[in-house]
Amino acid sequence: MVALVIALALFFDFTNGFHDTANAMATPIATGAIKPKTAVALAAALNLVGAFLSTEVAKTVSGGIIREGSGGVQITPDIIFAGLMGAVLWNMITWLKGLPSSSSHALFGGLIGAAIIGIGFHAVNLETLLQKVILPAIFAPVIAGLVAYICTRIAYALTARHDPETGSKLTQKRGGFRTGQIFTSSLVALAHGTNDAQKTMGIITLVLISAGTQQPGSGPQLWVITACALAIAIGTYAGGWRIIRTMGAGLTEVKPAQGFAAESSTASAILASSHLGFALSTTQVASGSVIGSGMGRRGTTVRWRMVGRIALGWLFTLPAAGIVGALTALLVKTGVVGVVIAAVAGIGAVLYMFLVSRKSQVGHHNAVEVEEAGQAIRFAKKKALARARAAERAKNKNLKGPQL
Amino acid sequence: MKWLELLTVAGATLVAAVTVVVLYSLGVRLTAIAGDRQVAAPAWVKYLSYACFGLCGLAVMFGLYLIIPYFSG
Repeated sequence: MVALVIALALFFDFTNGFHDTANAMATPIATGAIKPKTAVALAAALNLVGAFLSTEVAKTVSGGIIREGSGGVQITPDIIFAGLMGAVLWNMITWLKGLPSSSSHALFGGLIGAAIIGIGFHAVNLETLLQKVILPAIFAPVIAGLVAYICTRIAYALTARHDPETGSKLTQKRGGFRTGQIFTSSLVALAHGTNDAQKTMGIITLVLISAGTQQPGSGPQLWVITACALAIAIGTYAGGWRIIRTMGAGLTEVKPAQGFAAESSTASAILASSHLGFALSTTQVASGSVIGSGMGRRGTTVRWRMVGRIALGWLFTLPAAGIVGALTALLVKTGVVGVVIAAVAGIGAVLYMFLVSRKSQVGHHNAVEVEEAGQAIRFAKKKALARARAAERAKNKNLKGPQL
Repeated sequence: MKWLELLTVAGATLVAAVTVVVLYSLGVRLTAIAGDRQVAAPAWVKYLSYACFGLCGLAVMFGLYLIIPYFSG
C-alpha cells in the first residue's frame, strides 16, 4: 500500500508539473520570447532547482483542513491514496479541457472527500477550509489581476514615445521587454518549484510516518526530495500544451511589455504570499495576471467566455476531486480487492484520457499550433521567411532544371 | 480571518511588481532614446539605462534573498 501511494504521489507531482508549465511559460511562448521547447526545458530545470532550494517542508499537507495529529483523527495511507486519486483524475480532466486549474485545490478536494467517507464529516475543519482555500481562491486572481493591470499601464505609459513637435508616434522599441520576459518567467518557474514540489514531499513523508518507517516530526528524506524534484521537472518538461495554449492565446492576445508586466505580478504575488504565509494558488495568480494585463493594454480584448469557463472549472475543482476521492475511499474500505480495483480503474481512466488526447491532437493540431505560433513571432519570423524563400528558389531551380 | 495578512500580501505584491516594472520600463525607454538615429543622445543616457536594468536585477535578487530560507535564515 505504501509503495502504491508513493507511486501515485509521484504521478500526481508529474501531473502537477505539466499542468503548471503554462503559468510560467505561456506568455513568453506566446510573445515568442523563448522557443517552446527551450521554455519548457528552462522551466523544468528551474523547478528542479526550486524543489531543492526550500528546506522548509513537511508541514502538514492539508494545512489543518483535516483535523489530524493529537486529539484529531488519524490519517491513514488509504485516505491519502483515495485523495491522490481524486486529485490526479481531476488534473487529467482539466488538462484534457485545456483549463488551468489549481493542483493544490484538486489535492485538497480529494483529501476532503476521502476523509469524509473514510472517517466522517467531523474530520473536516470547515473554518480552515474557508480561510485557506475558498477565500484565497477569490482574492488571488483579483489581487494579481489588479497589480498586473496597473503594471501594464505603467509599462506602456513609460515606454510610449511621441515626437515632441508633431505628436505622432515614434517607433516604440519595446523589444527589450522580450528579454525581460525570460527572467520574469524564470522567476515564476522557480517560485513554482519551491511551492508545489513540497506538497508531494509532504504527502510521501506523511505516508512514511504513518506506516512507521520514519520518525514522526522529522523532515523529508533525501530520496523523497530527489524523487519529487525529478517528477515535477519531468512533468514540466512534458509540457501541458493545451493549457499553454489557453493561457497564452485563449484569454487575450499577449504582447511582450504586457507579458512582462503579467509575469512580474505573478512572481511577486506568489513569492510574497509564500513568504508572508497567506498561501495563494500559482495557477489562479497567473490566470488573474494574464487577464489583468489584457485589460491594461489598449486595443486588446479579454475573451470573457474563456474566463467564465476557467472560473467554472475552479468552482468544480474541489467538489469534483472530492467525489472521486470519496468513491475511491469507498472502494478502498472494502479491502485489498477494492484497492486493486481502484488502482486499475485509475490507471484505466488516465490511459483513456491520454488516448482521447491523442485523438483530438490530430484533429485540432493542439501542441503543434502552439509551437508554430511561438516560432512565427518576430525572432523566428525572419528565419522562417528566409527558409521559405530558399525553398521557393530551390523549387524553381528544380522546375527549370530538367527543362533546360 | 486573516484580513491583515491578505492586505500585506496584496501590498507587497503591488510594491514589488511596480518596482520591477518601473525600473525595467525606464531601462527600455532609455535604451530606445540612446539608440535613436536622428537625434544623437548624450552618452549618459545609455549608462543610465544600464543602471536601471542593474537596479531592477538587484531588486529581484533582494526578493530572492528574502524568500530562500537558506540565506535569510
